[in-house]
Amino acid sequence: MKRNLLIIALACLLLVPGFVFAQPAAEESASGTMRLAWWGNPTRDERTLKAADMFMAKYPEIKIETETTGWGGYWDKMNTQAAAGSLPDLMQHDYAYMLQWVSRNQLADLTPYIQKGIIDLSKINDSFLSGGRVNGKLYGISLGTNAVCLTYDPAVLAKAGIPEPDSATWTWEDFERIALEIYRKTGVQTIPFFTTDPKVGFDNMIRQTGAATFGKTGLGFTDPSALREFYAIQLRLLDAGALIRPEVAFVTVTPEEGEFAKGRSWVEFIWSNQFVSTQAAAKRPLKLALLPNIKNAKAKGTFLKPSMFFSIPASAENPEAAAKFLNYFLNDITVNDMLMGERGVPIPDDVRDHMSTKVDAINKQIFDYISLASKNAGPIDPPDPAGSGEFLKMVRDVTQEILYKRISLDNGVSKIMTQGNQILK
Amino acid sequence: MKHINRRTRTLMDDAAGYAFISPWLLGFIAFSIIPILFSLYYSFTDYDILGEPVFNGLENFRRMAGDQLFWQSLKVTFFYAFVSVPLRLLFAFFVAMLFNRGTRAIRFYQAVYYVPSLVGGSIAVAVMWRRLFMADGALNAVLAKFGIITEYSWIGNPDTAIWTLIILAVWQFGSSMLIFLAGLRQIPKELYEAASIDGAGAFRKFLNITVPQITPVLFFNLVMQLINGFTVFTQAFVVSGGSGDPLNSTLVYALYLYQRAFKFYNMGYSSAMAWVLVLIIGVMTGIVFKTSSSWVFYEAKEGK
Repeated sequence: MKRNLLIIALACLLLVPGFVFAQPAAEESASGTMRLAWWGNPTRDERTLKAADMFMAKYPEIKIETETTGWGGYWDKMNTQAAAGSLPDLMQHDYAYMLQWVSRNQLADLTPYIQKGIIDLSKINDSFLSGGRVNGKLYGISLGTNAVCLTYDPAVLAKAGIPEPDSATWTWEDFERIALEIYRKTGVQTIPFFTTDPKVGFDNMIRQTGAATFGKTGLGFTDPSALREFYAIQLRLLDAGALIRPEVAFVTVTPEEGEFAKGRSWVEFIWSNQFVSTQAAAKRPLKLALLPNIKNAKAKGTFLKPSMFFSIPASAENPEAAAKFLNYFLNDITVNDMLMGERGVPIPDDVRDHMSTKVDAINKQIFDYISLASKNAGPIDPPDPAGSGEFLKMVRDVTQEILYKRISLDNGVSKIMTQGNQILK
Repeated sequence: MKHINRRTRTLMDDAAGYAFISPWLLGFIAFSIIPILFSLYYSFTDYDILGEPVFNGLENFRRMAGDQLFWQSLKVTFFYAFVSVPLRLLFAFFVAMLFNRGTRAIRFYQAVYYVPSLVGGSIAVAVMWRRLFMADGALNAVLAKFGIITEYSWIGNPDTAIWTLIILAVWQFGSSMLIFLAGLRQIPKELYEAASIDGAGAFRKFLNITVPQITPVLFFNLVMQLINGFTVFTQAFVVSGGSGDPLNSTLVYALYLYQRAFKFYNMGYSSAMAWVLVLIIGVMTGIVFKTSSSWVFYEAKEGK
């Protein structure tokens, strides 16, 4: 009896290590299994899984294991995997984090796979690739093009009797006039600019002055007037009653719960690849426009941004399979027919031309917007420096302080300038 | 010979015991002890997850002293803990008293009232909480029925946002309530009967029998809930979308710690913050233990 118990107990003991340590047991790289990770949403997950299935049907010698989470959880997970040395073979990456990962030697240079002919970039204009390049080496390939924009409700403008703006030439003065007139005639308000990440908004204005938000060290601009104007416009609208109160605008909500979807704002500030979900939440026809110009603009504020990359981690166990899948995902027309540009407008010329004839009306609007933006865009700024996370939080905090009127406009702006230079030093 | 035999047998017994708890023990070592030791080490380093940790002595703790958001998160957390814990315990005790009178469907109600404790950190509740307390939410709709027309955003205003989290905490009173209920059932009936014979009223019985008899349970609940209160994370995270909005008025300590770790990648700094929190909770629990002798009633002492 006693002995039996001991045996059972020992069996328990033996089971545990198997359970705890089963995970890291590495697969043979020759076995052809690769791990693929991305962040996404239900639509993207479904289409990416299907792309993996299509790839496996075509190349049965390679098996793909997939991991997916939302944006926030994704970086928690990938950073932890990086620390543990267990990154996947192919991972979705973002422009904001690219530099930090490359400087920590976490990503592999893709050039060898291009030279070996596994990845084919012959149909891609080089300007689409520059975002993934650091010091002349290619660390990520863009999966689609994205640009910042505003989307507005043309029905509200029509109701107020305001002609639709020519978004390539309109100014912030025009914007302010339109916002006030809409409020006076229809009662519809304006949402504060880029509540989740105000930096995206004033970055556009600072770029128009010929400077950049981030410098090599500290801030990339010394003249705060563009930054000041970004908040001054909103404060003037707020004082006129035309801006949605910050107490309402800064409550985190789903797109469906948002003030724009509810029809209380005539405008919303988004990235172009968010248009599909914004449109779905609003359930009414919308238009896309470039952000307005500042007075005496010296440069273009808008830029084309790689919406996301595929990158191969330096620690990948099966990089060749990863490169093969990357090439398939990028260049294959059939798989792109299924993906329908969900990650942004595709970058190979032939795929993009093919897609523009096939996409639905909503995606056609995005394609048209990207082509408008490409004619009105300046070069992209370098990826965000270390410390940008803390900087963005500080900016958002001060934005709230200004709009909640806890701090004066001038004090708020100088707080961003001094604290920004401290955080980014 | 016999002596050795006994010793081997004890050893065998011990080994069997440890082997039986080994699944838990190994899990505890792998997922608690080792990470805890690592975090102690990281708290003295500059570590951004992707690179190697670099030893920097007490620098993290020094930085904390000058970090405004650190002090803000402490302020928020102390306020939250000191308000929500007593309220939750009072409410739990009140409901337990009601149940103790014996209702027919008591088990059903117990289960129902425990549900909020299970779902409190879920996204569905976060959405519901926003719907309750936003400018065009349910609360204002109810107020309008009473003639109070307001567009006040309870959840979007820095003066009231933390109260929405406190109400959420009070609403999750289930586990404390069950423990109180078990405690109430333990109180000997004879005490009440004796008091009745002596002519004591209901309030008198409550004050002189129920309250002293329940203090050991209250003590346990207080310690547990205090620890819960200081480590609150999920509710603040889901309701504010991880931001601590508005104006950092719901930026509780654990949420700021999370932001430092996974938004700013200051792993070393956030590990140091975690150890400061351990210290704070240790001191708070210590105070409760120290004072317990003067307010917790133990039957054994009564006999002397």
